Amino acid sequence: MNTAPSQRAGAAGSADAVAPPVRAADWYRRKRTREAMLVACFLLPSLMIFFLYRILPLGWNVILSFEYWSPLKAARFAGLDNYAEMFLEDDVFWQALTNTLIFILASPIAILLALAVALAVNSDLKGAAIYRTIIFLSYPLMSVAVGIVWRWLYDERGGFINFVLRGTGLIKEPIPFLQSFGWALPSVILADIWQVVGFYMIILLTGLQSIPQHLYEAARIDGAPASARFLRITLPMLRPSLFICAVIGILNSFTAFDLVYVMTGGGPAHATELLVTHIYNMGFGETRFDYAAALTVVQFTLLVILTFLANRAVGGNAGSVESA
Amino acid sequence: MQKRRDVLKLAAGTAAASFLPKKLYAQTGTKKLSILTWNIIDMEPLFKQWFATFQSQNPGVEIEWLDKKGPELPAFYQTQLAAGTPPDIVDIQGGLGLEWAGQGALLDLTPMLDKEPAVRARFNPEYLANWVFEGKNYLIPFYVSKSLLFYNKPLFKAAGIDYAPKSLDDILSYAKAVSGADRTGFLTLNFDWLYWPLFRMQGVDLLTPDLKKPTFNTPAGIETADKLAKATADGSINKISWTGRWVEPNGAFAAGNVGMMHAHSSAYFFVKTQGSWITPETIGIAEVPGYWSTPNSHGYAISKGARNPELAWAFLKFATEKSQAMDFARGRTLTTANAEVDKDFLAELDKNDPTAAAVLRTQIEHTDKLTGNWRLSDDSAVKNIVWAEMQNIFLGRRDAKTALADAEKKVERELRRA
Repeated sequence: MNTAPSQRAGAAGSADAVAPPVRAADWYRRKRTREAMLVACFLLPSLMIFFLYRILPLGWNVILSFEYWSPLKAARFAGLDNYAEMFLEDDVFWQALTNTLIFILASPIAILLALAVALAVNSDLKGAAIYRTIIFLSYPLMSVAVGIVWRWLYDERGGFINFVLRGTGLIKEPIPFLQSFGWALPSVILADIWQVVGFYMIILLTGLQSIPQHLYEAARIDGAPASARFLRITLPMLRPSLFICAVIGILNSFTAFDLVYVMTGGGPAHATELLVTHIYNMGFGETRFDYAAALTVVQFTLLVILTFLANRAVGGNAGSVESA
Repeated sequence: MQKRRDVLKLAAGTAAASFLPKKLYAQTGTKKLSILTWNIIDMEPLFKQWFATFQSQNPGVEIEWLDKKGPELPAFYQTQLAAGTPPDIVDIQGGLGLEWAGQGALLDLTPMLDKEPAVRARFNPEYLANWVFEGKNYLIPFYVSKSLLFYNKPLFKAAGIDYAPKSLDDILSYAKAVSGADRTGFLTLNFDWLYWPLFRMQGVDLLTPDLKKPTFNTPAGIETADKLAKATADGSINKISWTGRWVEPNGAFAAGNVGMMHAHSSAYFFVKTQGSWITPETIGIAEVPGYWSTPNSHGYAISKGARNPELAWAFLKFATEKSQAMDFARGRTLTTANAEVDKDFLAELDKNDPTAAAVLRTQIEHTDKLTGNWRLSDDSAVKNIVWAEMQNIFLGRRDAKTALADAEKKVERELRRA
């Protein structure tokens, strides 16, 4: 016959002076256990999917990076050959890495721009809601569509940008934005900033609106000028939002595949090649999945390091949930 | 109660059937044939008609057809290979077929072609030979195309030019004569080695005949690259030649302010729909000097992992027969490399659309002068190496001598790696 937990605890208590606290702790522990199991049950499907579609492929990818492998040939151990080729022989890798880092470094520009816009639309500006909507509209657009639109805007012969620049007398000869080694990457970055700035704005706007107004009122009473209020209240209080923007910016730089693919295909001569486009080319263009796996491992490591640094930069606790 | 029993019976039957061994399935007489094609979804009615006819000739055959758009097919096919479920038949464009053959993805069709010489005899031998890798034939032609030269007659006339170019120097001098203001003289498509005839007409080849060593880093190669770079810098050659893929160069030529365009035959049908200036009187059609051209054809292959290779071969024979090939040629206005079909179709087209016929006639002439179709299993890697350095030269980032020397070293390394 099963004995109820309280009865069993009572039996133990008669033989032990500290029985009541143990009984309470037991009960508490079991409740916690039950709760934990319930939470685990709810989490299990998501965790399984996460494990199957994220962790397992990542693990397999790491293994693959140390092998010679193609879909129809048995895998052979390659040691560090793929990494040696990447670091010592593959010029395109270094170019793609540099371009990816430049792409990342451009994120703060987009965030600053978004902050300025967010501050503007958060003020008493007339028609702020309309501006907010217009600025955000670029974000939900498909990157492929954005790429096509910008490609035509940049066109050397019939593009709108060259038309305006020539029409206003700013330039005499059209600029081959996407055909020039100097202009191609900044041009793609500009298109990317244009698309993502609306999203950053919404994040920052939410952050701005969650700052308690009494802080500003107190600062005003103390005679703090606007710049001090911005630097001492707004910016520190916006740190979590800025962190989110920074992480999205980093992720976006690593995954801006579609925009680059549509606008330049990584060219000319790899001038706009990113790590992600290089990985795609190696995997699906040259059927070198093993080498592409090694590139992916490097990209993933870089991503983890940069996210860690971004987290540290905002105090190391971004994303944590405050308990009441 | 009865209903519940029926449902249970059905469920049990379905479950049991799913555990049936494959052999048992075969005994039921059902055979599946999966076909993957590339960007020809518009031909669905014709394909369905073919499938119905084929199924009536081969009772019990189930056909599963999937069409993928341009950039999607290679990635899709490779994931299918990795998963061990490749389609039985796959339509492949350009040099990819040889790459996949080199990796062991495709079935060697040589024994079948040897066994049935009548099938081999259907095809133009040069087009058929495009897909020979290490002495074995891995694909048969589905529809074929190669590059040619289109020119804008009014722009030529305005520049005082009255005949098609006979050499690269002609091309460049004409281009210079035509260019100015918003006009450029020359454009070329560049993907899949489509620019290579510009080098070949100067006697420059990429590799030795045994495909072991690069041969492009020669004085003639440097001179050619240098000429093209200078012509690009002075605006004679449109820069899109070295950066665009399909829509931009064709769109630029269709806009009517480019003198010449080097492209394959399908470009004509694209620009014709976009350029209001294009009429039989205004568009010129010519072979490039030396009659060199780069093929960009589609072929049918059978996956090595095909469930029913015999059935797949039967379908390929059926699909390339005169009747089917002719329907396809008519439906898409193209050449098929089925010699008899192309001859008859062009005779028919001469009456209906003489300009289109003139364009397509170039596709079956001088097929002994095909270039840019090296039988390499790592064609993409070599292509990417050479192309990046060519872009560096043509767009003025590096001088031809240094860039070609670097390209040569990288190609040597790639050939060793492969």
